[in-house]
Amino acid sequence: MALLRPFARTRRRGADGDRVWTWLMLPGTVWMTGFLIASLVLVAVLAVGTTDDLGNPRFGFDLSGVRALADPAYTEVLARSLGYAVLTCAVCLLIAYPVAYTIALYGGRYKHGLIAAIVVPFFANYLVRMYGWSVVLSDDGPVLRALRAVGLADGRTKILNTGVGVVAGLVYGFVVFMIIPLYAALERLDVSLIEAGRDLYGGPVRTFFFVTLPATRQGAAAGLVLVFLPAMGDFVSAQLMGGPDQIMIGNLIQDKFFQGQNWPLGSALTMLLMLVLLIGMFGYLRRTRKDEAEARR
Amino acid sequence: MTLLRLPSATAPSRPAARTRTRRGRTERRPRVLVAVTALFFALLYLPIAVVTLFSFNSKKSLTVFGGFSLRWYRAFVHDDVLVSSLGASLRISLVAMSGSVVLGAALALGLVRCRTRLGSLAGLIMLVPLITPEIVTGVASMLLFKGVGVDLSTGTVMLAEITFSISYVTVILRSRIAALNPEVEEAAMDLGATRWQAVRLVTLPALLPAVLASAVLIFALVFDDFVLAYFTTGVDPQPLSVRIYSAIRFGVQPTINAVGTLMLAGSIALIALALFIPRLFGRRGGLDILSGE
Repeated sequence: MALLRPFARTRRRGADGDRVWTWLMLPGTVWMTGFLIASLVLVAVLAVGTTDDLGNPRFGFDLSGVRALADPAYTEVLARSLGYAVLTCAVCLLIAYPVAYTIALYGGRYKHGLIAAIVVPFFANYLVRMYGWSVVLSDDGPVLRALRAVGLADGRTKILNTGVGVVAGLVYGFVVFMIIPLYAALERLDVSLIEAGRDLYGGPVRTFFFVTLPATRQGAAAGLVLVFLPAMGDFVSAQLMGGPDQIMIGNLIQDKFFQGQNWPLGSALTMLLMLVLLIGMFGYLRRTRKDEAEARR
Repeated sequence: MTLLRLPSATAPSRPAARTRTRRGRTERRPRVLVAVTALFFALLYLPIAVVTLFSFNSKKSLTVFGGFSLRWYRAFVHDDVLVSSLGASLRISLVAMSGSVVLGAALALGLVRCRTRLGSLAGLIMLVPLITPEIVTGVASMLLFKGVGVDLSTGTVMLAEITFSISYVTVILRSRIAALNPEVEEAAMDLGATRWQAVRLVTLPALLPAVLASAVLIFALVFDDFVLAYFTTGVDPQPLSVRIYSAIRFGVQPTINAVGTLMLAGSIALIALALFIPRLFGRRGGLDILSGE
């Protein structure tokens, strides 16, 4: 067909096509640039801004907001947020792997249904789910009652208002972001690889660590990033599950914009959060690039 | 290769039949794995079950069930503030859905087909909301509105939600568009259609199931969204999520159980619908809509 087409017409059509496609892209791109990119720039600008006597933000160049970040009160919160987020990633991986593995390898004809049964409620209202989870983990809730019944907890054990509660909230909130990529990776895994490992006298554990895990490493890496991003910026879990000693960087940001009314400091904290996440993303991208380069060789 | 590689859940190249028979010979289901998975499902649904159960409680307690009653649902219907919030949430979701589906679908078409430098720049901009945590987008949108002197209201929530949702629509539709054969469009043009006509009459109908599915999904996501709405909403009426947030921060309010149950039921129904729309059109269904690529 292409051969029959007159050359001139093809060329005209190609250029004409690009024009149409550009016009199609334009509204969305302009919209996003206008709202999103501009607003992110505004955050950066305001991070070095000042406030007037009434507390209204003013543009300017003043590093007091940025310098305040070095205050131990803030570095402690940042360190705690990082700790919670990393712990959440680890717990999510530990929970999601066996679940995704079981469904992908043993789910049979029910596996699509099972994955849907995980994914669908996770996209339902986050607040209501977290609220229900805080009821479940409360002192009279079913989890602590069950733990007390089997002797793993006594009357004084608490989950709410502790760091464990906050991490439990974050895990409940975001574990699905680990399950989806892991499930996708495990479903594509060629089971004969596992069998080959067994045939070569690898026990189940050795086969898992030398065959299955490396083959699904990219799914796990994607899951870790997808969990880390929202966990690091969350402020609902720390509010519902934690107490004043468990606040995260998201709570600080919220406080600076709503209660404290210190916008430059709030903006500086937001930029700091962005920076941490960008470092995480960058590490992930470098890792996958390397993996892909190795795979190509 | 894309940024966050979420592979399609229905990968075509898996040797299903062979694995099943061979596995049947070599392994049985390990009990530990099944137990962990069962426990996971139990904990996943327990909070939802608790909220639902206690929404029908006749007592004002979250631990003691006093008997079945519709008391809290009645309280919700008679609560003018909550009802006006529900209305606001519905309006916001509807507007955000329409706006982002139109902008996002056009963007996706352009991104797949356009090979210019502007195209790759647009592709990068599109990714920004996906890698920015919601609290950052929330803060940024609020500052932008306040910066240009716009009072926060339902309208500002709509604008912010559109901005955030465009990327989701684009990600969902892009893989579908890439799977279409561009030669079909070329054929339409050889038969005398203009480029626009080819897009409108050939490409869009083929995309209809995916567009509908993404619309339903965005409606549910926006309706349930809390963080962005929290930062960009005005005082009255506030979206339902924001109301729920203020309510649960200040202790137990059984009405919230009723509202929460209704919201969970609504969004679970919508998301399930989004997953199965492609099936209604006789295509291979489902889950890949959530993973995009």
